Amino acid sequence: MHTRKLTVLALFTALALAIYSVESLLPPVAPLPGIKLGLANIITLLVLHLYTAKDAALVLLARVLLSALLFGQAMSLLYSLCGGLLCFAAMTLASRLLHRRFPELTSILGGIFHNIGQILAALLITAVPGVLVYLPYLLISGIVTGLFTGLCARFALRCLRRLPTSR
Amino acid sequence: MNTLSKRVWLLAGGIITILGCCVLILYLRQSSIQGSDAFTACLYQDGRLLQTIPLDQVTETYRFTLDAANGGYNIIEVSPGGIAIVEADCPDQICVLQGRVTDSLLPITCLPHRLVIELQPGAPASSYNSPDAVAY
Repeated sequence: MHTRKLTVLALFTALALAIYSVESLLPPVAPLPGIKLGLANIITLLVLHLYTAKDAALVLLARVLLSALLFGQAMSLLYSLCGGLLCFAAMTLASRLLHRRFPELTSILGGIFHNIGQILAALLITAVPGVLVYLPYLLISGIVTGLFTGLCARFALRCLRRLPTSR
Repeated sequence: MNTLSKRVWLLAGGIITILGCCVLILYLRQSSIQGSDAFTACLYQDGRLLQTIPLDQVTETYRFTLDAANGGYNIIEVSPGGIAIVEADCPDQICVLQGRVTDSLLPITCLPHRLVIELQPGAPASSYNSPDAVAY
């Protein structure tokens, strides 16, 4: 990995961590488990669209591990990891299929899969099938927040595509 | 139409279909709970049914503490026709923020303590269950 790319990826990781920590200070958007803005996903989207899926995975992994070290909540790590893995897989596939030109669609798909993963984890943790009734609420919130983060990524990409370090 | 725009429309259509289904499910659930006013609260911890409380038979508000397996606690307030988690030592406090629940629309969940309180319409199968443990 070139030093320049390493530096840019490290910068993105730091940004993601900063966004994540600021978001964790905000009060919950709705009193339902699993609903959040997911603003740190903007960075994952940016790296996914500017560089490769492998680089985005590295940045995401570094962010998750560092945030677990800094704000550690072992329990929430389990189900956000479950959602995060599904979300990342879906976004990688979507950005490839869409030739990296529609970050908002990619992001919405990521949001949907993030929430499906979270519900599956909650189902495993609580072992109560009743938690499935949260799914429609989570899916709607995932689509709305996914659209928002996707649009943020689109506007950021418009400027970042001029970066000489891209690809 | 080239492959890319076909994929875009397919994905957008799929997303809108999911959104529509979710709104429909929410609407149907909302209208299905209207008309029933007697609910039974079922408390699950670690997937086990701990106790059932017929909320229409509650005449006085009382509180009790549920200890979680990992050392945490939830203080539950049972009132006539409703149930709420009023205090918990979990980090996110989502269960407390959800407030008093009086219908079966949404269960109260405390994921860190693996606790779910689900309201079901009607009386429980067994006529009356008193709480196993009450701490005031």
